[in-house]
Amino acid sequence: MNWGGFQALSHLWLLSLLAPLVLFYFLKLKRPRAEIPSLVLWRQVLQDHRVNSPFQRFKRNLLLLLQILLLLLLVLAALRPFWRGGPGQHRRLPVLVDCSASMGALDKPGGVSRLAEAKHRVREMIDGMASGQELCLIAFANTPWKLTGFTNNKRLLRDALDQLEVADVASDLEPALRLAQALGRSEPFDEALLFSDGNFPPRVNFDLSFKLNFQRLTPAGPNLGITALGAQRAAGGGWDVFVQVEGSADAEGNASVELFQDGNRIASERITIARGHAQRMVFQTKTEHASSLRAQLTPDGFDSLAADNAAYLDLPESRPLRVFVPKSLGSYRHALQGMPGLDLFPQATGDEASGGFDLVISDRPQDLDLTARTRVSVGFIPPDLQRFIEPGTNGSTVVDWRRDAPVLQHVQLADLVVLDQPRFAAHASEGDLENLGYEVLIHGQHGPLLARKKDADALRFALLFHTDRSTLPYRVGFPILVENLVQAALEQAGLAEALAGRTGVLPPLTLAPHGRYQVQTPGQTIEAVTADDHGIVSGVAAPQAGYYSVLENGAQRRRVGVALLSPSETTLAGVAQIEFNERLQVAAAASVVKTDWPLWPPLLLGALGVLLVEWWFFQKKPGGWK
Amino acid sequence: MPPLAPRPQMTTLLTNGVLDRLERLRIRPAGRRTSRSRGEHLSGKGGTSTEFCDYRDYTPGDDTRFVDWNIFARLHRPYLKQFHKEEERHIVLLVDASASMKFEDKLNLAKPLAAAFGVMGLLNNERVSAYASHQANDAPDRLPPCRGRASLRMLFQFLESVEGRGDAPLDRAVELLLRHHRGRGVCVIVSDFLTFGDLKRGFNLLHAAGLEPFGIQILSPREIEPDVSSDWRLVDSETQETLDISSSADLLNLYQEYRQGLEDELALLCRRRQGRFLPVSSATPVESVLFDQLRRRGWIE
Repeated sequence: MNWGGFQALSHLWLLSLLAPLVLFYFLKLKRPRAEIPSLVLWRQVLQDHRVNSPFQRFKRNLLLLLQILLLLLLVLAALRPFWRGGPGQHRRLPVLVDCSASMGALDKPGGVSRLAEAKHRVREMIDGMASGQELCLIAFANTPWKLTGFTNNKRLLRDALDQLEVADVASDLEPALRLAQALGRSEPFDEALLFSDGNFPPRVNFDLSFKLNFQRLTPAGPNLGITALGAQRAAGGGWDVFVQVEGSADAEGNASVELFQDGNRIASERITIARGHAQRMVFQTKTEHASSLRAQLTPDGFDSLAADNAAYLDLPESRPLRVFVPKSLGSYRHALQGMPGLDLFPQATGDEASGGFDLVISDRPQDLDLTARTRVSVGFIPPDLQRFIEPGTNGSTVVDWRRDAPVLQHVQLADLVVLDQPRFAAHASEGDLENLGYEVLIHGQHGPLLARKKDADALRFALLFHTDRSTLPYRVGFPILVENLVQAALEQAGLAEALAGRTGVLPPLTLAPHGRYQVQTPGQTIEAVTADDHGIVSGVAAPQAGYYSVLENGAQRRRVGVALLSPSETTLAGVAQIEFNERLQVAAAASVVKTDWPLWPPLLLGALGVLLVEWWFFQKKPGGWK
Repeated sequence: MPPLAPRPQMTTLLTNGVLDRLERLRIRPAGRRTSRSRGEHLSGKGGTSTEFCDYRDYTPGDDTRFVDWNIFARLHRPYLKQFHKEEERHIVLLVDASASMKFEDKLNLAKPLAAAFGVMGLLNNERVSAYASHQANDAPDRLPPCRGRASLRMLFQFLESVEGRGDAPLDRAVELLLRHHRGRGVCVIVSDFLTFGDLKRGFNLLHAAGLEPFGIQILSPREIEPDVSSDWRLVDSETQETLDISSSADLLNLYQEYRQGLEDELALLCRRRQGRFLPVSSATPVESVLFDQLRRRGWIE
């Protein structure tokens, strides 16, 4: 068993300093001279001193021996010996550090965060690195990122560790493990270290190919936080705002929830949270204009995590839903005319209306070019599906449908008679549709009857049979289907409900096409973004909770607030065991990971001690060594 | 009545007060060693002094002037009257004036001590001679034997002029001294006895010459309790030889053992030759040595 070693064996040449040390000692070029009356007695004394006691030789050269001992201790310290710890035997060691929101939780009032504790322990590992050992720092929250490659450069590792900050997002271990696995293909390793509070799903879909040392950090203190914030349009106008507050397992007590609209407090409520329970409350606002809401939670006692105490919600302006249905689809127009809160085009007066629509239902392919957030094609095959779906007229029946799809809720399609027969082309299958982003909602005998495709800013439904050539318009489920389509359009247009933005990625922002903007984060950093052809800015990273401002030439164009809103992060629930594929389980390590123990500090202390002894007995103490 | 003028100092070596006290003292040798020449000391043998000693039978050839005729008239048998013989005693002063005696007033104590013994000798009608040894091969500086109060100034001038130099070993100094000296008595040796020579030989020579060795060893305080710390290169003041030492308690203890051993050896050498020995520190006042230590030890009376 290897108990230890030297980190800087190349410094062994320092032992050659023994030669000049001994040489200079015996030369004693600057020995103080003292004239005395006679050397008679001293000669006899010294002769007796040397001859009669063999050990006197040792004592006579004690100063030299102490100096040699001092030099040996210094050389040994320069060799940087160490006592082998646990992971020191691994040449390469990836270290995964959890930086999710829960890692920002404090252990006690005025205490340290989980991430600070993890950084402290990783720093100890870096300090105790052996010369041939390489560490790789990987941080992860919802996505992983590599801080350093495998390196033994301690300064680089420390700098990377210092820059590590908490991201206000939920953690996802799987991508981090996949990144580590990918690194292992080019630079193999046997074991990886994971520093986390265990706040991630207990089951990870990952084939673990290396040993994982799960170093679970000590639990944080009690925490209360907002885990949901949303608004639904109220029946009589205005909005119902829902706020949900949850707490960690050991959190209980009182708190205040306040709701601010455009900076003004419009409501507040005192709540009491019991252990393991959540509180849900509803506030009402009568506004019909676009406004910004902020919910603020203020616990009375200690709250370990501050990032989940605020949530932000943007309410859209209230307006009727703009729906376009050609007059050729009379069944749809009939169903829509009885619904409140929508404007149906073309109107009976023949006004075609201009501008965009929120919902387009048409059996004319050219109507797909209309600007709309939700489009429903009826009775024809969209161009991108024509390679895989062929029309037919032999009739078809419904084999199965996705009953859980929102658009088909409460719609009974059994025994539906369809005269059209859309069928898969030769060698085509459902997989080809999935590759295009379509999801089949209704399966017919020979092919799909309804498919859905959701893009970043648009929702498309493709009814591959014409409803007028089926029994659908005569069934009770038809108006329900139309109602579901309207509801989907309302949601797509953001008119029915609004949800608070979550950290991770900013929601898509509609701005000027090809416009160049800067996004200012809560940490006051600036990121340049460019809008696409439709003026959509998407994919902007939002790792911190708070307001993100979209600037154009320094002037603010939009402001979007995002919050943590993660029940798992707020409850600070930590798993003690992770289950991987094939029932492989990794439990949290029972002991703190042992690092190599450097021996050079005690050696230096010993050298200092020898120096003090030498000084005391040869300089300070009268009478010298006894 | 005008005050009396202070009496001028006779010498820088001893104060007038000390000289007054010395006038009432005399050297008390352990043995009875005198010269044949007439002097003030009884020889132990029959002599021609005025002090009656004993009677003995007349034998043919005796000097008839010493026949006691009164007894012859009464007893009709001749008896010869015997008288004490008074011989003179030599006081030889040997002052070690080598370079080692210059340290810490050792020579400044040796010269007054030698002067004191000389004063006591002269005032008691002894024959006093003085020697100061310097170089090993050179004859010592010498004050020829002299006697009487009139020789005091000569003695003082001689001793005052003695300076420390040279590297004369003591046995060599004794050897050179005996080339000039004749007569029995006492030889007062004032030295540190830190010599590379053979001490025993010197004492044997003195004993053979009829001189009782009175050894006074003067060591400086730093020789008695050396204050040596750390590493030093010691230089011999006489030979300029060097010796490197590293201070340690054992070394100092050993030094003390050797110093005490030297004292014991010197005392033994003196005692076996009917002499006396006294170690003193150069820091001791001369009055204390003369009137305290020497008197208590019976050197003088």
